[in-house]
Amino acid sequence: MGLERGSALPVAPTGAPSFITSKLDFLVNWARRNSMWPMPFGTACCAIEMMASAATKYDIARFGMERMSFSPRQADVLICAGRVPYKMASPLRRIWDQMPQPKWCISMGACASSGGVFDAYSMVQGIDTIIPVDVYVPGCPPRPEGLIYGLLMLQEKIKGESLSNAAIREEDPLRVGRPNLPPETIEELALPFGNSTLQNRTSGLVSTSLVARPDDRKE
Amino acid sequence: MMADKDFEAGLGGLDEGPAASATDPETPFGEAGDAADHPTVAALHERFGAAILHHGVVAGDEHVVHIQPERNAEILRWLKEDPGQRYLYLSDVTAVDFGGGRPLEVVYQLWSMELKRQIRLKAQLPLAALEIDSAVPIWQAANWLEREVFDLFGITFRGHPDLRRIMMPDNYAEGHPLRKDFPLRGRFSRAEQTRRALSMEVEDYYTPEELGIAGDKHRHGQEAGA
Amino acid sequence: MSKRTVEYLVTRNPEMGLDGRPVQAPVVPLEHDPELTGEHMLLNIGPQHPATHGVLRLVVELDGETVVRCIPHIGFLHSSFEKLGEYRTWNQIIPLTDRMDYLAPLIYNCAYAMAVEKLMGVEVTERCKVVRVMLMEMDRVFSHLLWIGTTALDIGAMTVFLYTFQERERVYDLHEALTGARITTSATRIGGMMADLPPGFIQGVRTWIESCRRTLDEVETLLSNNNLWIGRNRDVGAISAEDAIDYGLTGPNLRASGVPYDVRRDRPYYDYESYDFDVPVGEHGDCYDRYLCRMEEMRQSMNIIEQAIERLPDGPINVDDPRLILPGKKDVMTDMASMIHHFKLVMEGVNAPAGESWFGVESSKGELGMYVVSDGGSKPVRWRVRGPSFINISALPKMVEGHLLADVITVNASLDIVLGEIDR
Repeated sequence: MGLERGSALPVAPTGAPSFITSKLDFLVNWARRNSMWPMPFGTACCAIEMMASAATKYDIARFGMERMSFSPRQADVLICAGRVPYKMASPLRRIWDQMPQPKWCISMGACASSGGVFDAYSMVQGIDTIIPVDVYVPGCPPRPEGLIYGLLMLQEKIKGESLSNAAIREEDPLRVGRPNLPPETIEELALPFGNSTLQNRTSGLVSTSLVARPDDRKE
Repeated sequence: MMADKDFEAGLGGLDEGPAASATDPETPFGEAGDAADHPTVAALHERFGAAILHHGVVAGDEHVVHIQPERNAEILRWLKEDPGQRYLYLSDVTAVDFGGGRPLEVVYQLWSMELKRQIRLKAQLPLAALEIDSAVPIWQAANWLEREVFDLFGITFRGHPDLRRIMMPDNYAEGHPLRKDFPLRGRFSRAEQTRRALSMEVEDYYTPEELGIAGDKHRHGQEAGA
Repeated sequence: MSKRTVEYLVTRNPEMGLDGRPVQAPVVPLEHDPELTGEHMLLNIGPQHPATHGVLRLVVELDGETVVRCIPHIGFLHSSFEKLGEYRTWNQIIPLTDRMDYLAPLIYNCAYAMAVEKLMGVEVTERCKVVRVMLMEMDRVFSHLLWIGTTALDIGAMTVFLYTFQERERVYDLHEALTGARITTSATRIGGMMADLPPGFIQGVRTWIESCRRTLDEVETLLSNNNLWIGRNRDVGAISAEDAIDYGLTGPNLRASGVPYDVRRDRPYYDYESYDFDVPVGEHGDCYDRYLCRMEEMRQSMNIIEQAIERLPDGPINVDDPRLILPGKKDVMTDMASMIHHFKLVMEGVNAPAGESWFGVESSKGELGMYVVSDGGSKPVRWRVRGPSFINISALPKMVEGHLLADVITVNASLDIVLGEIDR
């Protein structure tokens, strides 16, 4: 029941572009990107910056996004603003699953993108382990201009979408409630990387000779 | 890269910092303070005698009293109800884990609004016997504070009306996070933590008492109630 | 309210009583007709909800629209701050303190620095004290502005949100001028501040105070004598003074119930006893009194800021102690010894003597306690934050019993909670 993907379009389902489809795509993408209703999944400090970007100085109403939809059923873009502990991971996944297609996700802030400052026992190290993310906005917290830049990048991304490309809007019903990334990838992402002294010291995976606690020096 | 001792040699007194107080086995709790400085401490010594193990003054003017854990409920209740003490306001209940197998300390911070006095009580619990009486019958503020100590340290409060986890999920299986033997990133791998986090069903989020409100029809495998 | 205003309101509005407050129809409870009352309903609010002020989950047992019981669940933002603190040096913890109460970060920065300085026995300079008082009071107003904006939004008055956020933007500009960041300021260091006040800061604060006073007047015009606001807030969520003390409530929540406990008054720090300010104390302990207390507190805080500006002394902002304070950048870049000094302090951290310290300050939410335990190293053995919102929210079940479902949101908003502080 319902439309079969690609069958109602006046084009071959394998997406060979034609004049009509590109016009239709343009129209549909224009409508979608200029009236995105955000689902503000605000948990912590980034939520305050998100509220500030909705307020008068930075005003995302200019982009058609002032109608914050707190019901996932009516939302287009999930803005995950703030750190997400494992206790909150399940509600986050449920809310993502409850949003109907077309939907996008913006991971706002360092904590949502990668765990941020909180590399500890209770924090999800990046929500992309749980839900698919379209745009990552770094910052701690990102300025409202940063969030708006991320929203504009998302609008650019939507501009490049096409109705005949059914794969990007597909969702496997069996994956509802499951993590977004396979366990090996989650493990790989959780290892310390780069030259962070703090990460190296606290991970226990790399030993350093210069440590700060007097007791530790005995080792 | 310079070696450690070169650093020490080159920087003079930078290494010492402000003087650390010596830990002397003769005085395991630290220096003793003068009981006369704080009327409550003098009264505690007088009334409870042997239950008061030590009194000290830290950070210049903060009075800390170590008590026997078995008598904490009695002492706390007296501190609240005695007309000369009137510690009606419980500021904080917390615990400290020093690591290395040392006993855990339960810390009570009290303030008397009428008499404008502050006092801190500590009770040491050996790791093998992490149990102490609850202060909830005395102050309602202790309810959530003790739940947090139970969740993060594993100390059981006897007589607490609803002792269950508060910060971590109810089915958290990795242990008690603020203990020193608990690693910073948890005991399970990140993939395992993610899997466990997402494997909760709707009913797992409710306590049995709450499910009882919703009626029998919401319990697993039971027929609808009348 | 003047007599003339009351008379005017009474003649224009028959629902206004002679004391200037609306005459309310008494709430008649439904008699327990067995045919009308059925089983109680279990309603889950949150953790993702527009009006819970964060990721708070409330499980409410309802008899129709009346709340029989409310059970809060927290922990949905538990970020292991206290555990993280054990792995960081004393100065590295300061960025963590911003992220707990993200509505008033400077208060947390200052409170933590004060606790560690007490532990170390370090006395900061006079200039630093006055600057910290000024910044803490500024953030108190900052936090209350967000509180009134979001509370009014929850109750339906959306304009107030926009007005107060515009004022907050001015404070954001001041934060940014001082530290470079809008919210996560990390402005203090052990022994002083990250940097001294930039030029133009004091003038910026004065300008902000002027415009903030006008905004507060507008907000009060919109809300204080508004029938709807009073109807939603009066006699809702009342808690008696004895219960409030027993539940450990602090801040405007406690003072609204008639208990005049303010840490700035009762355990003064940084010469608060020499500032001339009033502490507003309410009477009924309901949401309306909490609102009045906070509005007046904002005005008093602005008075304190003006007094602080008057008495701001010149002089260094940091203590002159090489064991704590980094050398100036000019020296670091030109002199080898200063460079090594800088390196050592940053890589190894400052050392604190063995001991402990519990320091309480009056934050915008209540009594904020910072408890630090040290064993002589550069990292704490235990860093405990007594977040006032954690204890304030535990009194919510007591306050909403017997009220309607919509009142749960009102009472929750009036407690002024911030989840970062509750869950830590």
